[in-house]
Amino acid sequence: MTWTDSFRLAVAGMWANKLRALLTMLGVIIGVGAVIVLVAIGKGASNAVASRIETLGTNVVFVSPTAGTPFSESAISYINQAIPFPVTTIGTMNTASKVSTATTSGGAQVVGTSAAYWKLGALSLAAGHFLTTNEVSQGQHVAVLGANQAISLFSGQNPVGDPLMILGQQFTVVGVLNSVGQGPGASQDNAIFIPITTASPLIGTNQLSEVMVKTGTPNQASLVSDLLTNLYNNRFGSGSMVIASEDQVLQTLQATRATFTALLAGTAAIALLVGGIGIMNIMLVSVTERTREIGIRQALGATREDIILQFLLEAMVISLSGGILGIGLGSGLVVLSPVLFKTPISFSPQSIALSFVFSTAVGLIFGLYPAFKASGLEPIQALRYDG
Amino acid sequence: MIRVTSLIKEYTLGGDTFRALHDVSFEVSEGMLAAIVGQSGSGKSTLLNILGGLDRATSGQYWLNGKNVGEFAPDTWAHERNRTLGFVFQSFQLIPTLTAWDNVALPLVYRRVPLKERRERARRALSEVGLANRLGHKPAQLSGGQQQRVAIARALIGDPRVLLADEPTGNLDTQTGEDIMSLLQELNRAGRTIVIVTHSQDIAQQCRQVIHIQDGRVVRDALLEEVSK
Repeated sequence: MTWTDSFRLAVAGMWANKLRALLTMLGVIIGVGAVIVLVAIGKGASNAVASRIETLGTNVVFVSPTAGTPFSESAISYINQAIPFPVTTIGTMNTASKVSTATTSGGAQVVGTSAAYWKLGALSLAAGHFLTTNEVSQGQHVAVLGANQAISLFSGQNPVGDPLMILGQQFTVVGVLNSVGQGPGASQDNAIFIPITTASPLIGTNQLSEVMVKTGTPNQASLVSDLLTNLYNNRFGSGSMVIASEDQVLQTLQATRATFTALLAGTAAIALLVGGIGIMNIMLVSVTERTREIGIRQALGATREDIILQFLLEAMVISLSGGILGIGLGSGLVVLSPVLFKTPISFSPQSIALSFVFSTAVGLIFGLYPAFKASGLEPIQALRYDG
Repeated sequence: MIRVTSLIKEYTLGGDTFRALHDVSFEVSEGMLAAIVGQSGSGKSTLLNILGGLDRATSGQYWLNGKNVGEFAPDTWAHERNRTLGFVFQSFQLIPTLTAWDNVALPLVYRRVPLKERRERARRALSEVGLANRLGHKPAQLSGGQQQRVAIARALIGDPRVLLADEPTGNLDTQTGEDIMSLLQELNRAGRTIVIVTHSQDIAQQCRQVIHIQDGRVVRDALLEEVSK
């Protein structure tokens, strides 16, 4: 029997039981679809973080207090004095707040900070200006909107000069940022920046959420990270602060990504295993149902190899069809992701190739036992089978 | 053409050994129309299954077309069945999901004959058994006689030297049974060796060699001249 004939026979066998084949494929369809979507979400998040890190450079150290550690604005001068070379130190005071215009309202991450935040080099302006030293020192009610906030609150219109209610007070929009994507912590696209001097009395605390120390080189960042860790460990005890350079954040993210990938591989393996067991189950039923047909084929000259090929290809056609439908489903979900998922997503051609290989392998592995079982039947027993 | 010597077939059921064939020996020469006759349970179908390589004798020798086929491995037997033998079963044994056309072409699939050629040959074979207008019909859409004709067309498509028929008229009405027997006789006159297993004396009388089986033993093996005596 030629491969073409075996393939034709496999397709005919599947077609003869369309609904059953489709239900059998479901496990593979869902498994493959899930892999494609999850990989796209994972890769999307990872790309956004990587892009943010690229923007910031690897010479920024993040310092944030754990619960109960005092961390007021005086920490900035404390840090500056402790570091023996020039650095830029920026404190932020973050809070979630309801924000509203005359017509729209929503939520935002309000970041109280100084004009020096701009020196991090992470932001770029779409309109207006960033917080100025004067605005900060005078505690003015001015705000700079992250890209998403400008879109959701002002429908993409230029809002510079427009009023905006934040933390129950009226602010004037003075600038709009370009989109920067997801970073470590809250996305700056969803943030609204206001002077830290204005934020402090409105939030009702002088506790900083985070201090960022920008150094001249990545090596200096590493030094600062070690120095501040020792300093705060001695002052408040171990674990009083979370201190990490951008490099360390990157390493943590890579480790997280590796764990996420392993988790994903595990999920995919389980989904495909379940799909494979479904295929094996239905192929065993098929072999039993078609015992007499197998006998007839043997009587007419089918060899063991012919019978193995027939059932193995049928299992692979089911599995592969499931894989192709799963790729369609996953790709469809990825395409619809801007509507369905409020998270960055990135299409991965590798995940499609991987899904294709996996679904073929599932059919091959789980089709082997039924195929060998079919080929091992004695012709006379098979012909006499009365199922 | 066919020679069996001291064939024994034993089955083991629940620890007990049951002997279905006892020391069976006979010969069927080329071009013969032979009948293996016996009552139900006499072992005649077991014998035919061994002749067709569908079952294996416990001991003894089986020579087919000059080859000691009794020693053949399963896949060698598969090739032999495909090239030398044609089967006609009492219950037709057609694949229900395939059309008459595809059922008939099946032996050629395992001979790796190209699709176009086997479809043409199957069409011709069905025409020869009077079913040219039933190519696309599935077995369930055909009468018993038509199904048996499809089975005969399938048995003949590979041009086998020997046709083995197990109660070929057993599931048919008298008239259709006679038609099928006429067809088999016609094929025999064309030079094909045919072995028919039957319990019917009427059918046996239409054959030129009659081998009587009783309780797994050959009790009589006679040519037509001897039968008529």
